[in-house]
Amino acid sequence: MTETTDFEAKADIAEIAVERYKQGLLTRRGFIAAMGALGILPALGAKAMANTKEIIVVNWGGAAKDILQEVMCDTYTKETGIKVTVDGSGPSAGKIRAMVESGAVVWDLCDSGAGSAIILEQQGVTQAIDYSIVDKSKVLDGGIYNNGVANYVYSYVLASNPKLLGGNVPQSWVDVWNTKDFPGMRTFRKSVRGMLESATMSMGVAPKDVYEALGTDDGIKAAIDRFRQLREHVIVWGSGSDSQNLFLQEEVTMGNIWSTRAHLLKDQMDKDSFTVTFNGGVVAPGIWVVPKNNPVGTEEVMKFIAHAQTPELQVQWLEKIGCGPANPAAAALVPADFQSWNPSSPENLATQIMYNDAWYAKNQIAAEELYVDALIN
Amino acid sequence: MPRLTDKARYWMLVLPALAIMIIFYILPVLGIWEISVTEPDFGFGNYVKMTESNAVKTSFILTFRVAAITTIGCLLLGYIVAYTISNFASRLTPLMVALVLLPFWVSVLIRSFSWIVLLGRSGLVNDTLRDVGLITSPLRLMHNETGVLIAMIHVMLPFAVLPMLANMRGISRSYTDAARGLGASEWTAFRSVYFPQTLPGVFSGALLVFVLSLGFFVTPALLGGGRVLMISEYITYQIQEFLAWGLGSALSVALLIATALVLLVAARFVNLKSALLERH
Repeated sequence: MTETTDFEAKADIAEIAVERYKQGLLTRRGFIAAMGALGILPALGAKAMANTKEIIVVNWGGAAKDILQEVMCDTYTKETGIKVTVDGSGPSAGKIRAMVESGAVVWDLCDSGAGSAIILEQQGVTQAIDYSIVDKSKVLDGGIYNNGVANYVYSYVLASNPKLLGGNVPQSWVDVWNTKDFPGMRTFRKSVRGMLESATMSMGVAPKDVYEALGTDDGIKAAIDRFRQLREHVIVWGSGSDSQNLFLQEEVTMGNIWSTRAHLLKDQMDKDSFTVTFNGGVVAPGIWVVPKNNPVGTEEVMKFIAHAQTPELQVQWLEKIGCGPANPAAAALVPADFQSWNPSSPENLATQIMYNDAWYAKNQIAAEELYVDALIN
Repeated sequence: MPRLTDKARYWMLVLPALAIMIIFYILPVLGIWEISVTEPDFGFGNYVKMTESNAVKTSFILTFRVAAITTIGCLLLGYIVAYTISNFASRLTPLMVALVLLPFWVSVLIRSFSWIVLLGRSGLVNDTLRDVGLITSPLRLMHNETGVLIAMIHVMLPFAVLPMLANMRGISRSYTDAARGLGASEWTAFRSVYFPQTLPGVFSGALLVFVLSLGFFVTPALLGGGRVLMISEYITYQIQEFLAWGLGSALSVALLIATALVLLVAARFVNLKSALLERH
C-alpha cells in the first residue's frame, strides 16, 4: 500500500521547532527532552510507563513534541489530573499497524494524515472517533473521518519577494506562470503533492473545480505540461528548510511552500521582501487516529481529543509553531497581526482548497513519474 | 600435525576479510537484486516499467553525460596540475601536493555547500563580477547543469591528479632529454616521447573519475535545482518518497550493470590490472 501522507510536512514541523529553539523561542529543557526522544526508541520507555491512567500521544518529534506537551497535554493534566505524555517517535502508518497486529499497543493517540487514516481504517487498525464526545462542529470541513479527525492544518501557499519583483507581486498561480511580467526563478516542491493543484489553477480553473479537472488523464497531462513550460524557471525544494533557504538567499522571486515555513520566513526577511497569499492555496490537515485496543481506553482518549479542540489552545499552537487551528472558532481569537498568516482563517479558507488524499492515493505514483519527466526532460 | 600448504595459509589470511565482505556487502547486494524481482509482484515488471519510463531514460543519459564531461574536465585540469607538480615545482612540490590532498579530505557535502555560497545569485562570484562591472544582472551559475559540473569537477579533481602524478613521477627525464638531444623540438619531445608514457596514468584517472561520477548523489542534488536528476538521486527518490522499493532496486541493478559494462569496454583498451592496481 502506498503511503500518501505528508510525513515530510510533519518532520518539517519538528525542524522548525529546532530553529525556534535556536532563536531562543523555546526553552532549553523542552528542547533537550525532545531531542532525547528523537535519539532513542521512545516506545520502549512509553511501554514501561503505559498504564490505564496515562495517555500517550505520539507525534513527529523535535520540539513540536514539546509544544504539543506544553499547550495541549499539560493543560489537560491541570484540568483533570490525568497525565498525558507526548512521544515523538513518529507514528507512521506502518508502525501503527505493526503495533496493533502484534497486540502490543502502547500508543493512545497518533498524529497522522488523512491518507494514512483512510488506509488504516481499511486495514481495520484504528478506532472510530466518538463524535458524541468529540464535537464535529469544532472541526473544519474536510477534517472529519470515521476513524480520524483533524488536529491542525497547514497549507501550500504562494510566497513571493516583492523587492526582487520591483513591487509587482503575483496574486495568483496565473501570475506565477507569467514569466514576462514576473521575471525570476520560481520554486516548487520536488514531489507533486500540492503542486499539480497550482498548475491546474494557473490555467484558469476555479479552485473548487481543481480535482475534477485532475480527475482525467488529460487533466493530469495538462497540469504536467504547465511545468514543462515553466521548467527553465523552476528550482525545486526537497525539504522545508530548502524552500526557506531559496528565499533567504534570494535565489527565487516566488514559489509554492508550506505555510509553516512562510510563518518562519516572515520573521527572517525584511518586511518589504516577503509576502504570502493564501489565494489558491491547498490546505492539508493533520489527523488524529486512535489505534485499536489503546491502553487507556476509547473514552479517555476521546476526552483528550475534545480538550485539544479548545480554541484558545489552538491559537497558541498557531503562534508557537505555525500550525493553523482545526477548530473554526479559533480563527476569531487569533490576534490581528497573526490573522493573515493563519492557514485556516475564514478569509484564507475562502480562497483555498482542501488537499484531496483520495486523489493522491489513486494517482500519485503515475503523476510523480510524469512530473519528474517534465522537469528534467 | 600436517603442515599447511602455502595456498591454505593464504586462504586463512583472506578468510576473515572475505567473510566480512560476504556478510556486509555481497548478501545485502543480493537482497537488493531479489527485491527488484519480487516487489510488488514476482517477475521482471520493475525492469519493464523502467525501460518504458521516459524520466528514467533521461536520467540515465544525464548521468552518463555529466560523468563524461566531468571526466574530460578533470583530465584536462588534472593533467596540467600533475605535469606542473612533477616537472617544475621541485621545491614547492610538498605544498602543491598538499593543496591537492587537502580538499580531497574535506567532505563532499561541505565542498558542495561551499559552491552554493560561491555560485549563488548573490554569491561571491556574481557579486565580484558585478562590482568589477562585467555583468549587470547575476549569471545563473547554479541550480542547473553548469553548477553541477563546476562542483563535480572540483570534487573529482584529486581522483584524476593523484594517479597521473604517481605515473608522471615514475617517468625518467632522460627520455625527453635524449629526444631533445637528438634535435626534437620541446613540443615534439612532449608529444611523442613524454605523453605516451603518461597514458596509463590518464586512463586510470579517467576510469576512477568516470565510475565514481556515475554514482554521484550529493552534489547534483544540491546544485542541480531538481533538473539535473542523476540516477542515484532518482533511486533515493523511489525508495524514500514513494516506497517503490522494487523499482528503486531495479534501477540500482541497472546502474551497477552499466558501470560494469563501462569497465568491460575500458578493459578492451586499457590493461585494467596495471591501470588500477599496480603503480608504476
